[in-house]
Amino acid sequence: MKHFFLHNLSLKIVSLGLAVITWIYVNGEILKHR
Amino acid sequence: MTFFIWSIVKPVIEILVLAIVFYRILVFFQGTRAFQVLKGMTYLLIAFLVSQLFGLDTLNWLLTKVFAISILAFVIIFQQELRQGLARLGRGSMFSPTLEESEVIALVDEITDAFFKLSEKMTGGLIGIEREAKLKTYIESGIQLDSLISSELIQTIFKHDSPMHDGGLILRGQRIVAASCLFPLSENQNLSKIIGTRHRAALGLTEQTDAVTVMVSEETGEISVACDGKFIPVTGRERLQEILKDLLIVQPKSDEEKTK
Repeated sequence: MKHFFLHNLSLKIVSLGLAVITWIYVNGEILKHR
Repeated sequence: MTFFIWSIVKPVIEILVLAIVFYRILVFFQGTRAFQVLKGMTYLLIAFLVSQLFGLDTLNWLLTKVFAISILAFVIIFQQELRQGLARLGRGSMFSPTLEESEVIALVDEITDAFFKLSEKMTGGLIGIEREAKLKTYIESGIQLDSLISSELIQTIFKHDSPMHDGGLILRGQRIVAASCLFPLSENQNLSKIIGTRHRAALGLTEQTDAVTVMVSEETGEISVACDGKFIPVTGRERLQEILKDLLIVQPKSDEEKTK
């Protein structure tokens, strides 16, 4: 299980960061249009 | 209360799904020429979002134009990779690139048999086994094949008079996808100066990707396995089988077994 989380860790962190940024941006846009 | 819990759980689920999608895209492009471009586009995206957040209008206007053009350029330049990715997505293998345990055992048996026979004849050989990161760049550097693995085929390819004996073989699943591939040489400064090019190539591929390499030295007949930029000593046939099974059988399963 530990290997599952630690494998390709940097890519996982980058993906999570991108997901958070995208979510914030898209939600901001949705709120703007409401 | 339910509404309150849902308002917390919903963004977490959305972010996790997005993260999985981004991760799959990055893993798919890892080790390819497109990865560097994708990295550049990610920086552009971050700069664009930051400029929006802080209301930096000039920068935002410029980045919007550049970003729109770069998406179009990316699609045109890497249309082949995108086509292959979509085809793979359709087959469902993008989300399940691993082999069944019985298939890994059969694969390991063929590799072990081939390498011990090569070792007896003092014939050099090098195999890169693809795991999660794609080895497209290296496959493109060699002669593309699509053949089910067999010990005899590996031995034939590495025969001294075979036109494909130089370079390494690449395995994807149970298939040999390319031969005569050029692997990157290790940049490890601590390696002994007497270590040959084949050793450096075996190590180099594992430094740059998550692949596993198996090699047999032409000079000593010694067999080595490399993973994560390190050599794992091989003391005998059973040890080689054990190492390869540990590295190739899906990790969560083997971890569970270890804790038993």
